[in-house]
Amino acid sequence: MRAAKFMAFRLSPELAPYLFLSPFVLLFLVFGVFPLLFSLYLAFQTWEPTSGLAAMQFVGWDNFAFALQDEWFWKSLKNTAWLALASGVPQHLVAIPLACFIHSSFGSLRNGVVGAYFMPYITSTVAIAILFSSLFSTDYGLINVVLSGLSQIPLLGGLMPQHPVDWLNDPDTIKPAIALIVFWRYVGFNVVLYLAALQTIPKDIYEAATMDGASRWQQFWFITLPSLKPMIFFGVTLSVIGGLQLFEEAFILTGGRGGSDQAGMTTAIYLYRMAFDFNDFGAASAMSWLLFIVVALLTWLTNRLFSTKESHS
Amino acid sequence: MNSRRFFPWKVLAVLGLISLTLCDVSASQTDSQPPLTLTVAAYPAVDEIVKAAIPLWKRLHPEVEIKVVSRQFNDHHTAMITALSTSFYLPDVMALEVGFVGRFAQGGGLEDLALAPYTIGQFQAGYVPYAYAQATSRNGAVVAAPADIGPGTMLYRIDLLDKAGVTEAQMRQSWDSYVESGVQIKAVTGAYLIAHARDMKDIMIRTGIKPGEGLYFDKQSRVLVNTPRFVRAFELARKVRTLKLDAKVIAWSNEWSEGFKRGGIATQMSGAWLSGHMNTWLAPGTRGLWRAAQLPEQAYAAYGGTFYAIPKGAPAAHKRLAWEFIKLMTQNREVQLAAFKVQDAFPALSSSYDDPFFELPIAFLGGQKARVIWREAASHITAIDVHKQDAFADEVINTELDKVLDRGKDITTALADAQRLLQHRANR
Amino acid sequence: MKLLNRQTEQLSSWAAYLLVGTGALLMLAPFYFMFVFATHSRTEIFSLPPPLFIGDDFLANLEILTSRMPFWRNLGWSLYVAIASTALTLLFCSMGGYAFAMFQFRFKNMLFALVMATMLLPSFMNMIPTFMIMDMLGWIDQPRALYIPGAASAFGIFLMRQSVAATIPKDLIEAARMDGCGEFSIYLRIVLPLLRPALGTLGLITFIASWNNFIGPLIVMRTPEMYTLPLALRSLQSPVNTEWGALMTGSAIATLPLVVLFVLSSRQLISGLTTGAVK
Repeated sequence: MRAAKFMAFRLSPELAPYLFLSPFVLLFLVFGVFPLLFSLYLAFQTWEPTSGLAAMQFVGWDNFAFALQDEWFWKSLKNTAWLALASGVPQHLVAIPLACFIHSSFGSLRNGVVGAYFMPYITSTVAIAILFSSLFSTDYGLINVVLSGLSQIPLLGGLMPQHPVDWLNDPDTIKPAIALIVFWRYVGFNVVLYLAALQTIPKDIYEAATMDGASRWQQFWFITLPSLKPMIFFGVTLSVIGGLQLFEEAFILTGGRGGSDQAGMTTAIYLYRMAFDFNDFGAASAMSWLLFIVVALLTWLTNRLFSTKESHS
Repeated sequence: MNSRRFFPWKVLAVLGLISLTLCDVSASQTDSQPPLTLTVAAYPAVDEIVKAAIPLWKRLHPEVEIKVVSRQFNDHHTAMITALSTSFYLPDVMALEVGFVGRFAQGGGLEDLALAPYTIGQFQAGYVPYAYAQATSRNGAVVAAPADIGPGTMLYRIDLLDKAGVTEAQMRQSWDSYVESGVQIKAVTGAYLIAHARDMKDIMIRTGIKPGEGLYFDKQSRVLVNTPRFVRAFELARKVRTLKLDAKVIAWSNEWSEGFKRGGIATQMSGAWLSGHMNTWLAPGTRGLWRAAQLPEQAYAAYGGTFYAIPKGAPAAHKRLAWEFIKLMTQNREVQLAAFKVQDAFPALSSSYDDPFFELPIAFLGGQKARVIWREAASHITAIDVHKQDAFADEVINTELDKVLDRGKDITTALADAQRLLQHRANR
Repeated sequence: MKLLNRQTEQLSSWAAYLLVGTGALLMLAPFYFMFVFATHSRTEIFSLPPPLFIGDDFLANLEILTSRMPFWRNLGWSLYVAIASTALTLLFCSMGGYAFAMFQFRFKNMLFALVMATMLLPSFMNMIPTFMIMDMLGWIDQPRALYIPGAASAFGIFLMRQSVAATIPKDLIEAARMDGCGEFSIYLRIVLPLLRPALGTLGLITFIASWNNFIGPLIVMRTPEMYTLPLALRSLQSPVNTEWGALMTGSAIATLPLVVLFVLSSRQLISGLTTGAVK
């Protein structure tokens, strides 16, 4: 009876995707596409926002020319690339094996361990700001205390810095400090993503492989990794996008300035300051479109990388 | 697979919830609004000052409610930019920090209070001259009314100075003698002279500005960075760093606060409001050890200040009342003095300066009558012309200074680089 | 030889447990400090080293907090918006992601590229146009302005598309069609149950994103009574005068629902439920 009822409202497979997509697309057109077009329009205008919408003036490609000649824009792009790599790559190199290990080796403790790794993602940023600025403090910070303790140990001592490190004011150390926090905040997020994907790999494949005498390493390499591929693609793409738009962590640690010699100034921070501190929305829009092109290119490359690999295997 | 059979019900529940939420129409709009409500957009602690003044306002205008919309400091100014850019949902009165007054003035989104029906000009004598000047744009429009100011003075640790055998007069004589005193203080007590070498540069580039010049640009948008004013500021900041006289801590960090608590920082240049914060939470344990003094070399500078403005796009019917409200906040003695007493907001209303409260000793400063010193400073400060690119210039100069301090970059090259970068922006 | 192998394996597995355990503690430390800070005055928080153990200023902080804002009301709005936003996002994105992964239709790749494109622009660049739309729709100061736009989540579509591609074999759908199952009931009875771990992930992440979102409320909310928590808590902050103690108390309380949610959703995330269906 029930089946018959469903038959009555039967949807053709040709029409189905449009119906499934329609609520999303409707919202997307209003709230996603309009802002996109607005900022594209703005990239060709000069605009002092506090004068109102009528104050926009068309300037052609001026904003783009300005952005491309702007030293700080380039500098911010370099910083962003460095930070995205240094924080992004370790995230996945740690999260994948960690997720597999948690998946296979923790019994009832599993939720607790995943929870612990996930907590940084939900810890309030205000607490993080206070805590990390005290951890990284030059004179009283725990990190420098530990380092100076380690430098007392004979063999290891040679590798340790001899003076307290001025983590947040030295352009050479601010980037690693930011990368560390980004890694710390998002590694658990990735673990959760990979765990969800691991759930869907049927257990009997492993059982069969064990019967065939495959080692755990071989199982990881030939079963787990290929099965995780769509999720790895997803995770890496998110890291590329998130890494290139890195804002909050660097903003917090550098007090919103971007750090000494702008060593911690990401492109997103620079864009934000261009728009809201330096009141140049036109240039900020142009720069965000240039950043957009960079991110799009890299996302496309990631896509290519994953699809060629797929065709080989 | 029991769970599968019940799944559609779960979906139905979700759908029900959605349809419920779609008609979430404003539970807040049901409570009936009084006939007229003035919206005041503010940030901490201006919001507290406004709320404290509401009872007095209700006595004068019982029929008009005041609604305070408070946001985080940056959020507030961002929201104001957004509202001004579209002229939607503007508040009737907006509080503005001094740094934003100049910027917003150029946008032309704020009412000129010099015109009718406001005619702030007739009350000009009541305000501290420099604060009034800060609110006046180049074409003579007065875009905001000053509420509180931050006359700059120096707080110093009398115990550390005594121990090092340094007197206040010695320290204040000139910027060079200030640095020399720092050497002595460091040698005897181990305390740093100053929190960050940048503070030294910040105050020095603000002194000795010629009439018609701004901080970084003159009226014709010519860049003023490659001048003796900047060279001297950079040189002294570098001297402070090479002599290891600065703690290298950034204001409002825990290290900074801890430096005060432990007596690791001997002086701090700041607005009058700082001693209040020191007393209530930054370093309450150091009560009695601090003194206030005028800045070295007769320098006078302003550290912050709050203004109230009326956006042009606000409902026209509210504007007269909005102005009444601003008058209450900025021209009423009681309101001004209450804000001073409770929130350490130094009055911009100079006609309140004859109040006996100014002559009272301050326990945190060892019984010193420091308000007299701040009042004196307020009368000497002059307003500096603002330029559209000032915020960017701040950033450029700080960066070049960092390079000089941390990387040993040559000062001449640093200032030439800054000049070049600013030139690129000056006319944007 | 075999014995030795076994011993090293055991040793390395213990080392792995130790490493993962230590890592977990390091991850948890700041979380612990958030609660410690919540029980201290701002003078104590701004000390070095910061306080290490629970103090006794919790109630005092809570009093400052509730006197400065309608805290519980703000918390209620946050919950309401987050639940609505999660429900809508799960529904719309699972439908959309399924369509992108399993069907062929016109402009599919172009549309998907466009969806991805919205993820590539920094969100604060959208503030002014979003404000304009909200005004046009008359949604200013209304919670729906927060959860309806969020349901068109590019992230959600992307995650769902990947998950459908990874977990649902095309043959299964074909087989169901052969058996005379309608398109909508395929989605309800086959796709959704199989997507449970991914839905758990998306739900968790959507809820957290909505819970922590402050740019959205900053654009649309005009009344402190309608603020969600992040915006309300941020309104305690100014460059010179922040009630750090109260702020930490509020932040700590605000985290508790997320912890509860994590515990609940981890049952969805971590369970070998779905393996059977593929057979």
